[in-house]
Parts: sequence; C-alpha cells; structure tokens
Amino acid sequence: MKHLTLGAAALIASGGMALADAHADTVNLQLQWVTQAQFAGYYVALENGYYDEEGLNVNILPGGPDIAPPQVLAGGGADVMLNWMPSALAARERGLPVVNIAQPFVRSGLMLTCWADSGITEPADLAGRTVAHWFFGNEYPFLSWMSQLGIGVEGGADGVTLLQAGFNVDPLLQRQADCISTMTYNEYWQIIDAGVTPEELVTFKYEDYDVATLEDGIWALEENLADPAFVDRMARFVRASIRGWDWAVENPDAAAEIIIDYDETGAQTLEAQARMMGEIALLVAGGDGTLDEAAYQRTVDTLLAGGSDPVISAQPEGAFTHVVTDAALAN
Amino acid sequence: MRAARGMARRVPAWRVPVGPGVVIGGLVLAFLLDWRLVLMLAVWLGAWGLNAGLARGAAGGSAGAVTGARVAVPVIFGLTLLGLWELAVRLYEVSPVILPAPSAIAVAFAANTGTLWADFVQTILRGALPGYAIGCGAAVLVALAVDRSRFLQRGVMPVGSFLAALPIVGTAPILVMWFGFGPASKAAVVVAMVFFPMLVNAVAGLRASDAMQRDLMHTYAASGWQELVKLRLPNALPFVFNGLKICTTLALIGAIVAEFFGSPTVGMGFRIKIEVGRLAMDMVWAEIAVAALAGSAFYGLMALAERGLTFWHPSQRARMR
Repeated sequence: MKHLTLGAAALIASGGMALADAHADTVNLQLQWVTQAQFAGYYVALENGYYDEEGLNVNILPGGPDIAPPQVLAGGGADVMLNWMPSALAARERGLPVVNIAQPFVRSGLMLTCWADSGITEPADLAGRTVAHWFFGNEYPFLSWMSQLGIGVEGGADGVTLLQAGFNVDPLLQRQADCISTMTYNEYWQIIDAGVTPEELVTFKYEDYDVATLEDGIWALEENLADPAFVDRMARFVRASIRGWDWAVENPDAAAEIIIDYDETGAQTLEAQARMMGEIALLVAGGDGTLDEAAYQRTVDTLLAGGSDPVISAQPEGAFTHVVTDAALAN
Repeated sequence: MRAARGMARRVPAWRVPVGPGVVIGGLVLAFLLDWRLVLMLAVWLGAWGLNAGLARGAAGGSAGAVTGARVAVPVIFGLTLLGLWELAVRLYEVSPVILPAPSAIAVAFAANTGTLWADFVQTILRGALPGYAIGCGAAVLVALAVDRSRFLQRGVMPVGSFLAALPIVGTAPILVMWFGFGPASKAAVVVAMVFFPMLVNAVAGLRASDAMQRDLMHTYAASGWQELVKLRLPNALPFVFNGLKICTTLALIGAIVAEFFGSPTVGMGFRIKIEVGRLAMDMVWAEIAVAALAGSAFYGLMALAERGLTFWHPSQRARMR
C-alpha cells in the first residue's frame, strides 16, 4: 500500500513535470476531420516554417468520424481545437468552457443538395421529403433552418423525414433520400464524381438563406486564457496560421501538394485536394482571423431558434475573445 | 452447499494479507499526499469489511442468513462501486464531458424516459429481437439439415464461419443500402452476427446423443422423426441454450452498432452517436444503462427458459438442489 501510493505520487509528479516542459512552446492542434485541404493553412504554416519562425513546435492531430474535438480538448489531449461554432457552443453550454480565439473561416460551406427531378425548387418544397444529414453536432444548422421555415423534422406530409447518414452521399445516389447535406468543398464533389451532372441537382447554400453558422474556428479552454504566456503562445500560433492560410489561398496547387505529403492515410488525391483548396479559398478569403461579431450573433440567433430541441438554450457569455487576434495582428 | 461452507472456513479469501497497522500507516501517509484518495480508500475498505463480515456471519449461520447475505453482498458491492464513482467525479471535479457522476446519469435517465423508451422500442424490439429470432431460427433449421447430410456439413459450415468473420463495420453500411435506414437493416446485421454461433452450437448439440442411445432407439424401432424429437433434440437443448444465451448480447451489440451507419432519428445507437457529438455524456450513459439492463433481462429470460426446459440435465439438477 505504502509503496503503491508513493510510487503513484512519484509517477504523477514526474509525469506532470515532463508535461510542463514539453508544453513550453508546443501547441497541439486537434483537427475536426481527416487531413485534407480544409486545414491547408495549418499544414502550410508547418511546412513553410511559419510556426518555427514564431518559435513554436506545432503538432497537428487529424480527426475523424468518431473524434469529438471538444472531448479531446477536455481530456488534455490538445491545447487548441478546430470546431464548428454550433458544436463548440453546445459543448460550452454542457459545461466545457471553450472560447473562440480566432475565426479563419468567414463564410459557411454548408449546402443542401437535392435531385432536380424531385420537383424541389425552393426550401419550402422540403415539406414531405426525405433528407439525409450527418449527425455529430453538424445537424444544428439544418434543424434551425427547418424550424425557421416552420417545417417539422418528425416526418409526415408536412414535415421532413430525417435520416442519419454516414459521411458519404450514397443515400442521395440511391434515392433513399431526396436531399442530402453537402459541403461546397467535400460531399458536393463526391456526387459529381459519381457521374451526376450539376444540372441534375438543386443546391441551397445556407449563406444565401441567412441561416449560415460559423464553421472552422480556433477554440481554446477558458481557464488557459487567464495565463498571459498561453495567450502569447496562441497569438503566435494564430499569426503563423493566418500567414499559412494567406499563402494557401494564393498558391492552391502547391498547398494541395503539401496536404498530400502530410496525409498519412494516403487516401487523398492531388486533383481532389487542389479542387477542394479552390473551394476552401472562397470560405477563408477576406478574413484576418478576427471573429466578426455580427456573424457570431447570427450564428447564436440561428441556434437559439433551433426548434423544440435547441442546441443552446441561453445566450452564451464570454464565448469569444479578441485578445489573441488583437495580439497576433499588433506586431 | 455443505461443501462450499467448509471451503469458506478453510480459505478466508476476504482477509487482507497485511496487518491493520500497515493499513492505517498507509492511510495516514496517503492522507498527507491526497485526502480525497484516502476518503475513497476508506469507503472502499469499509464496504469490504462490511461484506467480509456478512459473509463470515452467514457462513456459520442459518439458511436464512445465507440467503440474506447472498442478496446483500452483491448489492453492497454494486452500491460501493457507484459510490466510489460518484466520489471520484465530485472530489476530483472531473469534467462532465469526460465522465458524468452516476447521480447526473440518473437525473438524465429520469428526465428522458420517453426518449429512452422510444429508442428501446426502435432498437431492441424492432431491430434486435426480430433479427435474433430470424437468425437463431434459421441457424437451428440449417443445423437440422446439416445433421442429415454430410454434403451440407462440408458446404455450409465454412460459409457460416465466413459470415461470422465479416466485420460489422463493413457489413452494416452495405445492409443499410440494401434494406433501408429502418429497423430491417438492423435486423439483417443481427442475423449475420448471430447465425454462426447459433449454428455451431446447434450442430454440436444434435451430435450430443451417443451411439448407444441411438442404438437403443433403433431397437425400439423408432422412426427417424421419433429419434429426432425424443432423443436428439432434447439432448441438443443444453447446446442450443448456450447458443441462444451468447446470441442475446451479440444481437444487442449488432443492433446498436448498426445504427451508427445510418438510421432514422430514433434508436439507441443513433442517440449515443448524436449525444456524443453534443457532449451530453449523461445521456450517453443513460442509453448504456438501458442497453445493460435490456441485455441482462434478455439473458436472464433465456436462462430461465433453459432451467425450465433442461431441468433433467446434470448442470441444472445441481443448481436446483
């Protein structure tokens, strides 16, 4: 008993010290999906040495279908995460105090893509249809939108029958669903690659219907932001990352090459990543990392209008800060 | 029972292999390092002592005391585990997105009984049970055919083991494409999961009657049907129930996991998936509790049926006494 307790204490102490050392100028970044052009800015900053120039040692941790970045952050597996604002705000309300420190994506890439021959021409036509959506915190914008249109999601003649689909477009291709949620840079091109022409599809962009919610933002834990050293480290990280994004937007083909080099799964192709980078550039162009408070408020309002089972039930307080981006842009 | 009581006296398995001085010394030292750990250790040791006392008292006591201890000891053990969990979460302020306290899970359970019931109906009653019945029923029928024909025995068994080797993460999305997003695809996954374990057990069971018994039936001029119904099937029952019991849990796992790959907006697997995305871990644990309860009840039902139908078997006779 005595030995066990002492041993455990020694282990914890030494582990803690090792952790503190390694953390001095290390940033562990948790992505919310697999390595792809969606995260080009960070890989470019790593490859081109922008992080090195800021004296940072950045580890980029790819995500996947079953990795919830907020959970990784809560468990101490990462210092900072990329997350969609709806899911991050939901996590915040669930008792994980995450704060948005920068917002590289200024526009939403979320769309709803339907078969043109289904007769759907406007969002109101969705009543009585079947829609396939991915669920993992990604469904909130859709639920809010339907709620604003007054269309139920419990099926029936007046409502939408909602299917929980995997992260592929098979339900649409097999006509198990009339519509499927797509990203401008990902699933939409999967449909096109399957041999469907754009004329056969009708696409609704969330941006066009004023229900867009902010996507890939950089989030950290609130408690860490009380530490000036952490804020400084984050400011350097954000500055280098935005530099990486600017470079990626200007050099999409070279950025795609970098993505291919870093993709350990070997699943991505250069052609697809170059195309994706082109779409991603449209979402990040014009931003300097600073969160646009109007877009933040629109996101929050959309989420609060989320129907019977809203994502968040109260106006979040302190869910973002400009401290990091102000410091990053100052010098 | 008498033998078991004798054993308990000779080998006091509960006794701590260190003296009380060492324990107290260790506690005091640990208290200086982390009082929370000590509190939890104290609760644990206290419950251990209580159970050990109960077991010792029952060992020398009346039949009533034995029964009482038999109920009380596991209950105390379970409550202690829950108590330690609650203590650990509260004392160490574990984030609710990592591990919620049992009390929080109970609150989520009570507040969402409607949702949990709808999920239970969708996943267990519409997905797992039909799949279980179809899969196990088909396996028994195939086993009867296999038992009759050496040709089938050579042909079907490899196919069965091939089916069993298919990974569910690969088959589930395909079956969702074939049978739709509803419970039919979940039942299909369950069929694929339970078929082979059931088949192997049923085939082994049908071979359980030995040559002497079959010769005896032959001397009675029993027909093939009579031999099957009066000798081979009853002899196969213990094996069949083994298969049925193994398959209860497989069916639950299959139905829940299959929902990860496509489902309507109801079901236990669906709920677990979306609530993880929302970081509502209390709700995830509530679903896990439902799955555990349903699995135990399902297994218990099968064990009861086994006891009723194979009362003649030595393993059951020993338990009945």
